[in-house]
Formats: sequence, C-alpha cells, structure tokens
Amino acid sequence: MMAKQLGMVIDADSCIDCKGCMAACKVANEVPGDNWRNWIKDGEMDWNAKGKRRMVFQPGNCMQCDKPTCVTACPTGATYKSKADGVVLIDRGLCIGCGQCIKACPYGARYRNDKLKVADKCDFCRSRREVGLEPACVSTCPTKARAFGDLNDPASPAGKLYAAQKDKAVQVVNAESNTDPNIYYLGAPGNKHWPVKAQMPSAFTFWKNVADPGVKVLMGLMGVGVLAMLGKQLVMKNDAPEEHHGEDGHE
Amino acid sequence: MSSRQIPRHTRAGIFIHWFNAACWFFLLATGVALISNPELNPLGAWYPKAVRAVFMGGGNLLVAHWLVAFIWLAVWVVYLFWGMNRFVAPFLNSAFTIEPNRDIQWMIKKNLQMMVGYKMMAKLVKPLGYDGTMPDQGYYNVGQKLAAQGLIFGALALVGTGFIMFASKYFLTAADSWLVQWSITVHFIAAGVTTALLILHIYMAAISKDERPAFISMFTGTVPAEYAKHHHRLWYDELEDSKPSEVG
Repeated sequence: MMAKQLGMVIDADSCIDCKGCMAACKVANEVPGDNWRNWIKDGEMDWNAKGKRRMVFQPGNCMQCDKPTCVTACPTGATYKSKADGVVLIDRGLCIGCGQCIKACPYGARYRNDKLKVADKCDFCRSRREVGLEPACVSTCPTKARAFGDLNDPASPAGKLYAAQKDKAVQVVNAESNTDPNIYYLGAPGNKHWPVKAQMPSAFTFWKNVADPGVKVLMGLMGVGVLAMLGKQLVMKNDAPEEHHGEDGHE
Repeated sequence: MSSRQIPRHTRAGIFIHWFNAACWFFLLATGVALISNPELNPLGAWYPKAVRAVFMGGGNLLVAHWLVAFIWLAVWVVYLFWGMNRFVAPFLNSAFTIEPNRDIQWMIKKNLQMMVGYKMMAKLVKPLGYDGTMPDQGYYNVGQKLAAQGLIFGALALVGTGFIMFASKYFLTAADSWLVQWSITVHFIAAGVTTALLILHIYMAAISKDERPAFISMFTGTVPAEYAKHHHRLWYDELEDSKPSEVG
C-alpha cells in the first residue's frame, strides 16, 4: 500500500474567482496583514478562442511537494515533510524565521508571519483536520473547484478524481525546478509554468559550499596536528625537555 | 625540582574558566544538534535526532541553547564589570601584547619541538644555529595569546550573531531576513573556528606533558616556581622583582 499523500485536485474550469477560498483561509488560519496562504491567479482572456471565450483562473496554495526545495533550504529541519501524510509542515518552536525557505519556494507559497515571527504557509488547515474538518478553502468553495484528500486513496475526493483523470491532470511547475507538487489541475489552469526557478539563499549556499568544507578542513588539520603531537609524546617518552631540568638556555 | 608553588590564578579566574568550559561544551553540543539538514549535518543525522529526543523536541533544544547562552552571557557581563580592573583589563593587555621578534621565534621553535621532539629538534636545527633556548615569555606565551585572541573574537561573533537569531523570533521583520540568514552561517563558522582552537587548547593543557602544571593550576591556583621560571620567565622575573607573597 502506498504511503498517505494528502493533496488537491483543482478543477480550474470551475473556479469563478470569487476569492472565497482566500477569505476563508485567512480567517481560519489568522493570516496577518498582507499575507495569504492561498491564491487565485488570473489567466488572460483568449479573445481568439472559438466557442468558450472566457477568463481562466488558477487557484493554488502550498504544493506540498515531493521534492520540496523549502525543506532543502531549512538548516534546522524546522520545515519538514510529514511522514504520516506527506504534508510539508513547520515546527514553530524550532523555526527562527530566517526566511531561507521563503526564498527557496518557487511558488511564493511561504511568508514570514510577522505576528508569530516564523515562516508560515498552507498546511491544509492542520488544526481543522485534527477535528475532522476539511481545509477551509475546500469547505467554502461554492463551485467545489477544490477536491482534497489522500491522492493514493481512491476513496477520498481528491484520490477519486486523480485516479479517474490521471491522464488529464497537470502539475504547475517551473521546468528548472520540478519539485513534484501534489496539487493537480484539471480543465484550463492558464499558464502552467508560472512558478519561478527555486533560489537557494546565498547565505545557505555559502555555508554549504565554503563554510562547511572550510570548517571541516580546519578541524581535520587541527585533529591531525594534535594526533601528531600525541603520537610524538607517546613514542618519544624519554624525550625529556631540557629546560625543565636545567638552568641553561634561559639566562 | 623545587616544590615551591607560586600563585597564578585567583578563585574568580578559576571559576570563570570552568564555568566558561561547561557553558561552551553545552552550547556546542546543543548548537550542533540544532543543525538538521542532509546537506549540512556535521556529525550525521543520528546526532540531532538523538539530542532532540533527549530534549523532547527541537523547540525545547532551541530554548535550552538560548537559556544557557543567556546565563553564560549574564555571568560574563557581571565578571566584566566587577573584575574589569582586577582581572579583565590585565588579561586583555597581556593577551593582545605581542612582540613580533621574540614571539615569532618562539612560535617556530615551540612548534618544531612539539612536532619532532626536543632531541630531534636539537639534532636537526643545531647545525643551523639553534642553541636550545626559547625566547622568554610573559604571563601567557604567544601561543596562548593567539588562542585567546581567536577565542575572544570567536565569542564576540557567536554572541552577536546569536543575538540576531534570537531577536529574529521576537523583534525583527521580514526585511531583516538577510541579516538572520548570514548570522546563521557566521555563527557556524565562529563555532567551528573556536572549537578548532579549543581542541588545541585542551590537548596542550590536559594531554600534553609540557603544560601539565598549567592544567593543575586551573584547580589549585598555583604553579611550581620552576615551571613558571622556565615557561613564563618574564612573568616569573616580575614576580621576583616585586617579591610577591608565596604559598607552598
């Protein structure tokens, strides 16, 4: 049996851009100020299309990626992918809000919560799920554009849709940073390549490529030096230091 | 060898040394455990996992790291103000006074002695003019001074960057993220450099035979007069000139 992977299958054609999901999320998760945990991106009107001529919308939120660049950029493991349900979570006690994960997310799904002073983002309404509720955006959507659940469970709303529409479902990814998201789109989600390339923060890259090997070399040299001195001390036991015994050499 | 002992460390000095050592060890052990990332883990993934299990979570580990850091800092602040004239100023004065001609010569000779041994060194270097003498040293030899300087700057970097990281969770905003990100990296470098210096310091003091009396003095406060005379001649002469009260 495959591991549980919570995700969404979003029918972009059903989205009417009412922003209900955004408002419900903001209230349910007490998202401060100008920050949002989810979004609806506008597509462009295709005036040349024959037949259905209309706007396309792309609702979205944290993609709960299988290869999350935010987890790679976190030095402490405060951002991690839950083994139980595949959701990318933030340990608020351990996070110091350095923002490396925010920069590393190619979807702009993260923000620094200036009230909590930590990184924050969609966790599929963890607190609501704990009491048996669906994520707020899913519950509130008037057209039921968002289907949520275990993608590997054909009985869940998202799993059912995913199993049935696997060939048509698309992921929205940047070609250079395919993080393998667990949000799939049906219908016409507009630009499928809007995410930007994942950027590792320069402080992190410097740490990984320069500081880490540098410190290891320094430790190694110090270790070798100390071992050499220890070896000399053990081998040359009778190498009595003359200064300890004689007066000459210091006068 | 004479058993006459002369005072080298005050009780306050001995206390701050071992207090420092205990805090530093705790902060190093918990600090390394705060890094948990497959691309960075200094000791592998098992270490942060094990330490976090002891502290019942990464959040508690972070709080423990901060708590000890603040206690360490608070005691230091008291020590700095209370002992500025008596201990701190003379220590800084001694640690930062380098006499290049004498000290460079000492460093080269001491390193050769430590690596190849006294006899071998005499054999190898004697034809080149080595006469078996080491340039006289003061209260600290130049090796100790350089280590002290490195540890002082390392500690300042650790305190500064540590405070920025702490402040990130309480005062800073999203606009300050770059500062926090670089603080983490610099904190790691400073911890690495000071740990490397501490490896050397611990070897020299606790394992190397040459400095054994110095190690013992970190408990008793006194060193044998003979040791002082041969390892810290300038200091010994100063003491003799001022006819200090002697113990032992």
